[in-house]
Amino acid sequence: MTGGQVSLSFNALRQRIADCETGRSAQQSAALWFDRDFLCVDVTSVTCLDLRLTDNQPRHPKIGEKLKFSFKSQGRCRKDAVLLLATVAFLLCLAPRLLAQAADTERPIPILTGNAGFFTHVNGGKSELVPEIHPVILFPIGNRWLIEARGEFEAEFERPDGGGAYRGKVDKGLDYLQADFIANRYVTITGGRFLTPFGIYNERLYPIWIRSLTNEPLIFPLGTGSSDGVMLRGGFALSPKVNLNYASYFSTLSTVNKFEADRKIGGRIGFFLPGQRIEAGASWQKLLQEERPNSFGFHFAWQPIPLPLNLRSEYVRSNEGSGYWLEAAYRLSQLRLWNKVMRRTEIVGRAQQLFAGTISEEEAYQYGLPDVNTRQGEFGINYYLHDGLKATASYGRRFSKDGNLNVWTVGIAYRFVFPLARLGSR
Amino acid sequence: MKIKAIIFAGILGLLWAVCATAQPRTKATPSAAAIYSREDADAMRTDGEQRFRANCGRCHAAPQKFPPRMMATIVRHMRVRATITDEEMRLILHYMTQ
Repeated sequence: MTGGQVSLSFNALRQRIADCETGRSAQQSAALWFDRDFLCVDVTSVTCLDLRLTDNQPRHPKIGEKLKFSFKSQGRCRKDAVLLLATVAFLLCLAPRLLAQAADTERPIPILTGNAGFFTHVNGGKSELVPEIHPVILFPIGNRWLIEARGEFEAEFERPDGGGAYRGKVDKGLDYLQADFIANRYVTITGGRFLTPFGIYNERLYPIWIRSLTNEPLIFPLGTGSSDGVMLRGGFALSPKVNLNYASYFSTLSTVNKFEADRKIGGRIGFFLPGQRIEAGASWQKLLQEERPNSFGFHFAWQPIPLPLNLRSEYVRSNEGSGYWLEAAYRLSQLRLWNKVMRRTEIVGRAQQLFAGTISEEEAYQYGLPDVNTRQGEFGINYYLHDGLKATASYGRRFSKDGNLNVWTVGIAYRFVFPLARLGSR
Repeated sequence: MKIKAIIFAGILGLLWAVCATAQPRTKATPSAAAIYSREDADAMRTDGEQRFRANCGRCHAAPQKFPPRMMATIVRHMRVRATITDEEMRLILHYMTQ
């Protein structure tokens, strides 16, 4: 029986559904009818109708839309219970095969991705050419596993002091080689060599096609790098307005070539407000070697919805040094003048400061840290030529007791993605 | 008594089998009252775009759309790397493959 056109308030609709569930004959109402096991309704007015169709997706139905509601009588429930038991028994026998068939239809394939770039740095009048490539291999297995690895090949070519051709060596490294097991919606278990989850720059902003300024923040070496061990991590919604993300890890001591790591434990927790696009979080790390110092970090990121603006910052406090950076990146897409060009252009500014820690000059050099208190301001411009291809340039001024210097950078970065298996049809 | 033990062991075995073969949850639990509506692809796409901008857009601009099976790998990678939620992963994958 198809229905006529009547308006229903939410309460009236709910009452009619309740009537159907209790066996009354409201299903003969002009606006309601049965379609197999579902009770259906024509939506003729949305004035008072506000249905919560799922837990997280409140929405208004459109006028003319047909909605379905399931309900079951007690007799049907008994039959369903028997049917459910039989179905469960059947599925238990065929589960592996059924899952394999489901996986075939949307099965992810292995891919080779990563980024490559070529940069010219001029620090205090001394120029340096830096070609680099960071290949990433992603190898999914089944529905829950992912094997991932990232290599690093980076050269630094400089002119000798007496002049002549640029010379240098290529540094090779393994940033991560890890197996991820998605245990459930709350926990992913990672084993192997992984990026240390301390702050947000190391894990999220490090790739050269993502970072807004080519030069890493002064405090980047603090607490970051790679770890060898086990990690538990995940992200889930605490409520419709708040997401929680976390990572906790244990790393063992390793002196194996390309797998060097310290023995340490640590964790990071972050709260993300999707409505406001604000994330704030904290990190902690404890070294478990001869010395057992703690390191602390805090991060904050905000994307104001009305503006194409990205604000990010980190603060770190540790024995090796302390400091902060604050960065703002603004896409000029709102400018009407030369909009085709402006919408591909991004301007960036970063302020940062590092307070030298209680380590020797040699140790600071090994960490890649300045050995004296340092301040730096930096401004840059990015032009996105194509998806994953950007040209970048920046200027900065560094202030320290060792002397002030200019830091110039110009370069290009590219992100590539290739399938390593047949794409097939979905 | 012995039969009870066998039944108990059987139930435990079944539970283990269910847990071992169950897929990660990918859909939100329906509410108790109004349970099901027709699939609204446009609403999912809009929601997916919002989730993309809120999560992925914090670090990078929208990439080009890749074939679905490549996108499935990339989104799984980002689920781990960027700790996006299961629900967001599903919606973003839908948005990026439509």
